[in-house]
Amino acid sequence: MYVKTIRILTKQYVELDVITPQVEAIVAESGVQNGMVTVLTKHTTTGITVNEALECLESDIAVALEQFAPEDRPYSHARMLKDYGSTAGNPTGHLKALLTGNHCHFLIQEGQLQRGGAQDVYFCEFDGPAQRNILVIVEGQP
Amino acid sequence: MFIDIHVHPAFYEPINRDPRREELRHEALNIHKNGTAPLEHIFNQMRCAGLDKLCLLPEDYTSTVGCALVENEEIRRLVDLAPDKFIGFASVDPLQPDAADKLEDAFSRLKLKGLKLHPGRQHFMPSDPRLEPIYQLCERYDKPVLFHSGLSWEPDTLTSYCHPLAFEPVAQRHPRLRICLGHFGWPWIRESAMLMVKYANVYADTGALYFDNAREFYTQTFTRDIPITWIDRSLRHQVLFGSNNPRFEQIRMAQAIGELGLRESTLELIRGRNAVDFLGGLD
Repeated sequence: MYVKTIRILTKQYVELDVITPQVEAIVAESGVQNGMVTVLTKHTTTGITVNEALECLESDIAVALEQFAPEDRPYSHARMLKDYGSTAGNPTGHLKALLTGNHCHFLIQEGQLQRGGAQDVYFCEFDGPAQRNILVIVEGQP
Repeated sequence: MFIDIHVHPAFYEPINRDPRREELRHEALNIHKNGTAPLEHIFNQMRCAGLDKLCLLPEDYTSTVGCALVENEEIRRLVDLAPDKFIGFASVDPLQPDAADKLEDAFSRLKLKGLKLHPGRQHFMPSDPRLEPIYQLCERYDKPVLFHSGLSWEPDTLTSYCHPLAFEPVAQRHPRLRICLGHFGWPWIRESAMLMVKYANVYADTGALYFDNAREFYTQTFTRDIPITWIDRSLRHQVLFGSNNPRFEQIRMAQAIGELGLRESTLELIRGRNAVDFLGGLD
């Protein structure tokens, strides 16, 4: 198994970042020819999703998620968290992450990610700006 | 100009090269799971919040913890890394015999702009005569004092030392000394307001978010616990925006302060002009 971490400093409260090139580069350096890659965010207010990398879709996705979890709703999570020593202000991030999920998988054949022509890997920030870590886990035969 | 008067840089990356020191800071401040922050991240946060400058506050807890959690020299180093964005405060432990010397060094050599004290954590009453040399130094150098006031989430804190009324003797004996009640003295908002309306040298910052979210807590605190008119009409020159970041939500608090229904001219004062007056001007 070959594991690498992609580190991202997000700049906005909500942002969708295409990370396909970084994932493909890690698969290439792993030397795995036939196997699977998993892309997994280590955070609970971020997501990993696969979609078409179009500005219009990014806007529609952000709006749809905002409608699903609007900022001005009275969330139970808005409270002091004793084990953090700080106030939780990010319930919407947790709920949006629920929809996108926290990982994706791709098949690797002959060293290439087998993704459809419209498929890109997105890292989704729902509580930025923040410092984020994404695991890329490559498994298979060299 | 938008200034956050109340920021703790204990977890900024440039002063966290030693993991043991970082761990001590997490434990002693009771702030966990936040990691350390590169300055680029801090600047991203500032941009999202619309902030131009942050006042960085250290903590000298020599008597109670055994050391300063953030040293004055570390504050100077951070300010030097971003002098256009950071304003540095000093901290001393008033119960230590070298406190006055250390403070004079912080003002004269390190050029720090004010003093941060936490009576509840440092275990002193603000009216304690041992503080007199400290207050007199601040007056001599024309530097303000930002006190922790009200509830503290740090361990080993005595809230009675931080009640707003505990600061009245200081305000009364030192009318030329500008003092700020951090966290607006929460939950004693009315008592803080009383001191402010009585003493022109008493300020308060908005770094309180102990329940709910920023919008809900600010609405409760500044429109129900006291009417918003008290701030908008009478205390508008004495309220400073502060977030107490990283414990609280700087970006959401910066947004929430603008949604309380204050006059735009009052918001301008709270966001920056009052801080400039409190600091005695900017460099």
